[in-house]
Amino acid sequence: MRPLRALFMRLAALFSKDRQEREVAAELEAHLQLHIEDNLRAGMSAAEARRAALMKLGGVEQTKENYRDRRGLPPLETFWQDLRYAARMLRNNPGFTAIATITLALGIGANTAIFSIVNAVVLRPLPYKDSSRIVTFHTKTSMFPAFTLPLTWPAFEEIRSQSIPFEEATAYWETDRTLTGRDQPEVLPVTAVSTGFFEELGGSAEQGRLLSEQDHAPGQDRVAVISDSLWRTRFAGDPAVIGRQLILDTEVYTVIGVAAKGFAFPEGSEAWLPLSLTPEIQRNQMFFRFNVLGKLRKGQRLETLEAQLGAIAERLAKENPRLGKDYALSAEPLLESRVEDARQSYLVLLAAATFVLLIACANLTSLLLARGWGRRREMALRAALGASPGRLRRQGLVESCLLGLLGGAAGIALAAGLVQVFLAIAPSDTSRLNEISADWTLVWFALGSSLVSGVVFGLAPARRASRMDPNDALKEGTGGSVKGTPLFGNALVVVEVALGFILLIGSTLMMQTLAHLLHQNPGFRTDHLLTFDLPQRSNWNRKDSEGHAAGQIARLKDMVAQVRRLPGVEDVVASDHGILDGMYFEHSGLQLEGALPESSAVTEGVIARYISPGYFRMLGLPLVRGREFEELDARSAHKVAVVNETMARQFWGTLDVVGKRLNESTDAKEALEWNEIVGVVADARDVGIQDQARPEYFLALFQWDVGSHYLIVRTQANPDALAATISRQIWASYPDQPLTHVMTLSKTIAESVGDQRLHTVLLGVFAGVGLTLALLGVYGVVSYSVARRRQEIGVRMALGAGQATVLRMVMRQGLTLVACGTVIGVAGALAAVRLVASELYGVKSTDPWTFLAGAALILMVGCLACWVPARRAMRVDPMVALRYE
Amino acid sequence: MGDKADVWQGTLALMVLKTLQALGPLHGYGIARRIEQTSGDLLAVNYGTLYPALLKLEQEGYISSEWGTSDNNRKAKYYKLTRAGRKQLDKEARDWEQTTEILARFLAPGKESA
Repeated sequence: MRPLRALFMRLAALFSKDRQEREVAAELEAHLQLHIEDNLRAGMSAAEARRAALMKLGGVEQTKENYRDRRGLPPLETFWQDLRYAARMLRNNPGFTAIATITLALGIGANTAIFSIVNAVVLRPLPYKDSSRIVTFHTKTSMFPAFTLPLTWPAFEEIRSQSIPFEEATAYWETDRTLTGRDQPEVLPVTAVSTGFFEELGGSAEQGRLLSEQDHAPGQDRVAVISDSLWRTRFAGDPAVIGRQLILDTEVYTVIGVAAKGFAFPEGSEAWLPLSLTPEIQRNQMFFRFNVLGKLRKGQRLETLEAQLGAIAERLAKENPRLGKDYALSAEPLLESRVEDARQSYLVLLAAATFVLLIACANLTSLLLARGWGRRREMALRAALGASPGRLRRQGLVESCLLGLLGGAAGIALAAGLVQVFLAIAPSDTSRLNEISADWTLVWFALGSSLVSGVVFGLAPARRASRMDPNDALKEGTGGSVKGTPLFGNALVVVEVALGFILLIGSTLMMQTLAHLLHQNPGFRTDHLLTFDLPQRSNWNRKDSEGHAAGQIARLKDMVAQVRRLPGVEDVVASDHGILDGMYFEHSGLQLEGALPESSAVTEGVIARYISPGYFRMLGLPLVRGREFEELDARSAHKVAVVNETMARQFWGTLDVVGKRLNESTDAKEALEWNEIVGVVADARDVGIQDQARPEYFLALFQWDVGSHYLIVRTQANPDALAATISRQIWASYPDQPLTHVMTLSKTIAESVGDQRLHTVLLGVFAGVGLTLALLGVYGVVSYSVARRRQEIGVRMALGAGQATVLRMVMRQGLTLVACGTVIGVAGALAAVRLVASELYGVKSTDPWTFLAGAALILMVGCLACWVPARRAMRVDPMVALRYE
Repeated sequence: MGDKADVWQGTLALMVLKTLQALGPLHGYGIARRIEQTSGDLLAVNYGTLYPALLKLEQEGYISSEWGTSDNNRKAKYYKLTRAGRKQLDKEARDWEQTTEILARFLAPGKESA
C-alpha cells in the first residue's frame, strides 16, 4: 500500500513541478536562515555565521537535485524529455518525417488490413455458442470419389444414438424454396432442421420463439422461423409478423418467430423449418443430404471421435454393401470446414504484406543510419557533455518509436480504407464476409506493429550512435574521411531487393493466371448472353406423375416461345444448367455401347447436361458429326444424346460414334432407357472457365423430367437492358414462377474468377509498393554513399579520373547490390512460389520466363535508381569538393 | 566533521519519526539539529539526504507538512507525525530493538560458550 501511495504522489508531483521547485527553494532558504541565526546566537560574526551554515548545508543545487530525484519519477521524466526532443527533431525535418511516415504507413497499413481480414475470417471463433467445440461430419464413398458428401439419415441416427457422448447433435438440410404470395416470387435459401438445432448453435429469437420439440410432431410441423433480413424485406419489419403466413412451394407455413439479427447459420439462410421426412428417406442409405453438427463435451477429443466414427461406418457398410468398402465418416471442427479453402490464400497475402513492412523497415533503417551520420557531431557533443551510451541509445529508440507511431497512425487510416476496398471488391460468396470490419483489433494491431517496427528499424542506428567515439567525431571535419565499411547498409539493400523480387514474381504469376482465365477461349461465343434460373418446385418427397412432368415441359416450351418473340432477343434456348456457374451434374457408371473395353470399364466424372434444341447453334459450338437436338426429339420419341469430342475419343477412340447408344446405369435391374447418340459436338468449357475439357454428354431436356430449368438468351444489344423486360414477360404469364440469377455472361465470367482477381489485385498492389520502396532504398543508399565519398571522388578526379570512370564506379557499386539481391531473391522466390502453386492456372510456378523477365526488370529499374546519384557523382567539381573541408 | 558517522537512510527515517514524536511539529533544520544533539554530536546529518528523506516519508504518508512561523518569526515548513507515522514508528522501533538485541547476543563475549 505505502509504496503504491508514494508512487501516486510522485506521479502527481510531475504535474506541479514549478510550485514544488519554488517550495523546496524556500524551505532550504529558511533552513539556511535558521542556521545563521543559531550561529549568530552562538557568537559568530555575521560573515562567519553565514559561511559556516553554507558549509554545513553543502551544495544547495546538489540537495535540490537529490530532492528532485525523490520527488518525481526520473525515468519517466527522462522519457518525457526524450519524447519532446524527438518530436522537435521530427518537426524540424518535415521532409524526412513525411517520407518516413509514408513509407511506414504503407507497410503497416497493408499488414494491418490483411491481418484484420485474416483475423475475422480464419482466426476468430465462429459467432455461435461454444463454437470451438462444434464439429461437422462428412461422408467419403467410392460411389462419388471426387466429393465430400454430407450424411445419410441412418448415419445421423447412429451418431446421435450411439455411445458418442455429444452434448448435442443435430442435422439440417439446406434447400431452396420458392416464396410466393407476397410481391414477386422469389427463391429463398431455406434450412430444414432437426430438433436441437438452435440449442446447439445458441440461437435466440428477437420476436416470437424458435422451433421446439413439439414443432417436429407430424401435423404440427408447418411452422417457420424467419431471418431478420427476410422479416425486414418481405414483411417490412411488421411488428405483428408472428402468426402470418409464409407460402413456400405452395405449402403454407405459419411464422412463429424471427431469429435474432446476426444469426445466420448456414450462411444466407432466410428461414428455418422443422425437418420432416418420409420413412423412406429416413431409411435411405444413399441419400447423402444431411449436414450434421455435433458439439463435443468439454475435454472430449477429436481423435477419439474419429475412432468411434470408424466403428459406425463399418457397421453401416456391413448392413448395406452398396456403400462400398471405403465408406468412411469423418469429423472436423466447424471453423476448419468453413475456412480451409481461404486460409492458404490469406496467409500468402499476409506474408506479402509482411514483406512490404520489412522492406519499409529496412528503408527506414538506412535512412536513420544516413541521418545518424549527419548528426554524429550532435551525438558526440552530447556524449562529451555526459550523456551515457544507454541514454543516447534510449533516445534514438524513442525517436524511432515515435516515427513508428506516426506511421502507424497513418497506417490505421490506410488499413481502414483498404478493408473497405476489400469488402467492395471481394466476391459476395467469400466466407464470413459480413464479419469483416475495421474495428479495434485493427487499431491495436497497427499500434503494436508500429512499436515493434520502431524498435526493429531503430535499434541498429541507435546502437551505432551510442557507440560513437566523441573524440573522433568532434575532431573530424564535416566532409571527413569514411571510416569502416557500410556493410550493414549494403546488406539491408540486398535484403530489400530480394524481398521485392519475391513479391514481383508472386504477383506476376498471379497476373498471368488471371490473364489466362479471362482471355482464354471457352470454345463458344460469350457475348450478349443472359442467363435466367427458373427454379422448379422441389418435388423430392412427392410421387412424380407423368402429368406433372409433361406440364413442366409444356410450360418451359411456352416460356421459350414467349421470350423468343420479344424484340431485341436474337435467340433463346433452355437447359438444366447455367453457363460457367461451376454447377454440373457428374455421372459415374455409364453403359456405353460398342466402346473400348479398357477405357469404358470405369466411367467416372462424366458431365451430364440436359439441353433444348438449338443450344449448340446459339452458343456457336460446331457439331463435328451428326446433328443436334430438334423439335422432333419429343418426350414420346425415342431418347437421343449428343457427346463431346473428348468423350467420343476417350471411350470409343473415334469421333464416328453416331448410332451408338449410352445408358445412365450399368445395373440391369435399374437400367434406364438407352439413348441413341445423334451427334458429336466440339469441346467447350461451359462449366468453369478454368476447367480442362472433360468428357461430357447431352440429353434432350424436353424428353426428361429434370429438376432445374434455365433460360439462356442471346440479345441483339446490351443484355442488361433486356433482362427486366424478359422477367416481366415471364411473370405476366406465370406470376408464381421465381426467376433468379439474372446475370449477363460477362458478369458470370468475372464472378467465376472473382477470388483470383481479388488476390491478384492485392498481391499486385503489395508487389508494386514493395518494389518501389526497395528501389527507393537502393537510390537512398547509393546517393548517401556518393555524398559521403564526395571528397574522395574529388581527389580521384583531381588525380585524373574521368567522368566515365566515376560513373562506372558508382554504378558498379549500386548494381552489385541489386544483382546480389536478385540472386538471393531468385532462391527465395523458388521457395515462396510453392505457397501460391495451387492458385495458379496456365503458368508453372517456376516458369523460367517469369523469373528472367522479373530479374531483367529489377536490374533495369535498379540501373535507373543508381543512375541519378551516379550522375551527381560525375558532376562533382573537384575544386569545390576539396575546398569543402 | 569528517570523523562523524553519516546517518544511513533507514535509520535516518526512524530518527526523524522519533524526533517528531518527542518534540511535536518541527522544521527540517530543527529535526537535523535535534538528531545531532541527541547523538551527542556523534552523528552529522547530511542535509542533502535529509530533505529527500523527509519527502519520502511525506509521500508514504507517515508525516505531513505545512508552512508555519518559527519562534523568531521566520517562515518555515513544519513537519508533524501522522497517525500512520505513529504506528510505523512503533513498528520500526520494535524491529530495531529486536535487531540490536539479536546482534548484542552475538557480540556479547562468550557467555553461552562456557
